[in-house]
Amino acid sequence: MEISYENTKDCKVMTGKMALPNQYFAGRVGSKFIIALRDEHKILGVRCEKCNKVFVPPREYCEKCLSKLDESWVELSNEGVITNYTVVNYNDKHLPRRAPYILALVKVDGADTPFPHIVEGIDVEDVKVGMKVKAVFAEETTNTIRDLDHFEPL
Amino acid sequence: MAKKNRNVGVIGIGQTEYSSHKEHQNQAEMVNEAVRYALEDANITLDDIDCVVHGNMELFEMVHQPDMWHALGSGAYGKDQLRITTGGTTGASLVCAADNLVASGMYDVVMAIGLEKLQEGHTTGGITNMADPLWFRHLQTGALTATTATMMMEEFGEDRAKRAAMKYRILMDKHACLNPRAHRRFGLEYDQLEDLMNTSPKLVGELRLIHMCSQSDGACVMIFASEEKAKAMCKNPVWIRDHITVHREETFNNFGLEMPEMTHHYAGRKLFERNGITDPVEYFDVFEMYDPSAWWGLDWLREFLQLKDDEHLKLLEDGEFDLDGKLPVNPSGGVTASNPIGATAMLRPAEAAMQIRGDAGPQQIKKEVKHALASGFGGTLWSVLIMLEKDLDWQEV
Amino acid sequence: MAEYFGTAVEDIFNTMEERFIPEGTHGVDATIGYNISGEGGGNWKVTLKEGTLKVERLDAEVTGCAVTLNAEAETFVGVTLGKIDAGEAFSGGKIRVDGDITILVNVLPKAFRQFTPVIWARDILATVRERFRPEKAEGVNMKIGYDLSGEGGGQWTVVVKDQTCDLKEVLDDDCTVVMRMEAPVFVDLNQGKLDGATAFTSGKVKIDGDIGAAGQTASLFEKYVAEGAAEEKGEELISLKCVPSINQRYATGPAVGRWFDGLKEKKFYASKCPNCERTLVPPREICAECRVRCNEFVEVGPEGTVTLIDVVYYASPDPLTGKIRETPYTALFMVLDGASRDESFAHDLNPKDIDRIKPGMKVRPVWAEKRTGSYKDLLYFEIAD
Repeated sequence: MEISYENTKDCKVMTGKMALPNQYFAGRVGSKFIIALRDEHKILGVRCEKCNKVFVPPREYCEKCLSKLDESWVELSNEGVITNYTVVNYNDKHLPRRAPYILALVKVDGADTPFPHIVEGIDVEDVKVGMKVKAVFAEETTNTIRDLDHFEPL
Repeated sequence: MAKKNRNVGVIGIGQTEYSSHKEHQNQAEMVNEAVRYALEDANITLDDIDCVVHGNMELFEMVHQPDMWHALGSGAYGKDQLRITTGGTTGASLVCAADNLVASGMYDVVMAIGLEKLQEGHTTGGITNMADPLWFRHLQTGALTATTATMMMEEFGEDRAKRAAMKYRILMDKHACLNPRAHRRFGLEYDQLEDLMNTSPKLVGELRLIHMCSQSDGACVMIFASEEKAKAMCKNPVWIRDHITVHREETFNNFGLEMPEMTHHYAGRKLFERNGITDPVEYFDVFEMYDPSAWWGLDWLREFLQLKDDEHLKLLEDGEFDLDGKLPVNPSGGVTASNPIGATAMLRPAEAAMQIRGDAGPQQIKKEVKHALASGFGGTLWSVLIMLEKDLDWQEV
Repeated sequence: MAEYFGTAVEDIFNTMEERFIPEGTHGVDATIGYNISGEGGGNWKVTLKEGTLKVERLDAEVTGCAVTLNAEAETFVGVTLGKIDAGEAFSGGKIRVDGDITILVNVLPKAFRQFTPVIWARDILATVRERFRPEKAEGVNMKIGYDLSGEGGGQWTVVVKDQTCDLKEVLDDDCTVVMRMEAPVFVDLNQGKLDGATAFTSGKVKIDGDIGAAGQTASLFEKYVAEGAAEEKGEELISLKCVPSINQRYATGPAVGRWFDGLKEKKFYASKCPNCERTLVPPREICAECRVRCNEFVEVGPEGTVTLIDVVYYASPDPLTGKIRETPYTALFMVLDGASRDESFAHDLNPKDIDRIKPGMKVRPVWAEKRTGSYKDLLYFEIAD
């Protein structure tokens, strides 16, 4: 018997599964952000005085200048503006909504960084950059950013 | 010896404490803690860093592209960055890569970051998945194996081998108790030796729970600079003299009727040969070794240090691996004490460099440390060896 | 009586009967001794036999059991409650085990439900005033009624008015909302063991009156924390757990593919290096030492000579199924007949041979009845007598 490049009859494909249990710790800063969303329906950010920038979601240290930010919390508005968007047109079990739905970058008033979220209450054809939106909070908590359920037009 | 365009010095070291869990920090924040300590230690700022080398284990935290996400804490924003993930050897590979990057002339100052949050994943599950899914995965028990214990008991007799392994373990714990950053510090005493030998729960064969390494969370950061920069920026840089990485085939075929040369032995043999070192026990003042279990640690001392027969057992029994012995081994407490895997193999050269600088803390060796050896381990018995020096006065071979 | 973490050693043994799971001890015949030293300690002997349980308190140190656990009272209670890490207590020598540790690891978790200090609905309601958050109750005026049935049940009314809170041991007629459930359900809800929405949806909790008010109650009070657990109460830190499962497809290539075809025919094929002439088992396309292609297959085995034996006591998950495996099991290293002397092959050992297996013994493969060309075709090796 010979092994050769031309030999494909012995090539097989085996299928299997790999399960990897894991947990994620949000940390002090991340927890405070989620808890404020969940319990108080507030969006919190942190300000870097040196870079004059308000980050949301918050972070412990400024990624540029390494200033400590976890004591410079700012409460932001629950309203903001769409800075970019896309329409999700396929369905998959890991997605939060049935297609089609709008996934937008929303910059809430008072923040310098936008973050991605779902926009509802508007036809997917009608979404526009610059559109004003407001936060709608979830009734049940998942202890994630989805405690803010979605944004909808003002 | 490997050709370097220029010498490379370690100018900064930062470590978090190591513990079983860090719920108060996310991964990027943990990285950031070690980065800040290292910058502080080097007395420089992020602006001085040209390139970041980042590494942890694949599959352990189940975060893909962690180098990207950790940029929030690593300071890699706007800088060149590489990610290295070579299993257990990750930390050592990071040091080798940083050394190569600076030695080549590509960058003047490189920051290497090793980290792990083992609490966030499933370590044994992750390690098991390194094996061939068709043929070896179902037999894998992570890094838990007693094959070395069995072979040592065969060679040296059951009682002597078991006593030696437990003496090694207690010695490591005694060192860990000195190290304020060490994760597990039991306070073991030598009069517990027999008790632990017989009562510590068995994991696999004679590998007992007490012999095995911990699962830790933590991060380690080292900053490397070219000779010119290192001398300008730092009053006591530690020099990376040479390093070697040796792999074997990715199968578990090396327990036959004849043993092949272990990668540990091969790595030591080649490295010492090309650096003109004939008696490593005599030459080195400290050895920080990646010892995933007491059995492996003890056995690998013979391999790495090119010892014969029971020379390693005699050195241990005579206290020569103690802090005041001929060749102190793991003053940090080693891997049985702290094991944040992606950082573990970097802790070895980091702790060795601190011994050379003389600021290792309570675990500092009393006599002067000029020559240090550090090892990494991973995969199916792969080895990395790194040589560190206090002075730039070694002879080229 | 001495208590540790709010629990006495005796409580743990006294609740064994109610925590006992008879079906979990099928085929078990074991005695377990406990020598608990220090204040509040004592000696207990627990006998498990085919679905029956006997717990005895002895006056002297327990001896002659299949396994005996020795520990200080504080360590024992701490480990039982999960306040002290069991692994570290073992490793550090704070718990000493004589005898067959696998009974503790494998049998006990199946034989008993976990011990939890008993908490009554009454205990929880008694703390409602101190858990009240006046800042959340601005403008809130309501009476929340609790009608709890079963053991430890009763009727209570929590009155929230003018940012104050009071508790009455009677169910008022004019409650804004009344929640009816069995008392243990109430306890579980307050301990976070049961999700409120789930309990409501599944009918375990019935709500009369203003459902919106019922939903509001959670935010009016701090979470209940059991006594003893109080010291751990600090800031809330969020952690998320998940178990991603990935489907994999793995291409064997021609060399390992041939190996699986061989298994179907009860044969082991090795590839052979044309340079160093060593055999590679299972076959690999390249000799990693000579760095040349191996272009020949040879048949090796089917019997082999044992070189090393790893008996695994640690219950690790089977990476292919995720299930925890039965222990002990054995990983056997051997050199198959005709294979190179330095090339070992590893596989499972028939569990019946675990006590007899020695290096140097000859072993033979045991094949699956139905073979499909997978690793499951080869069940295990056993001693070739």
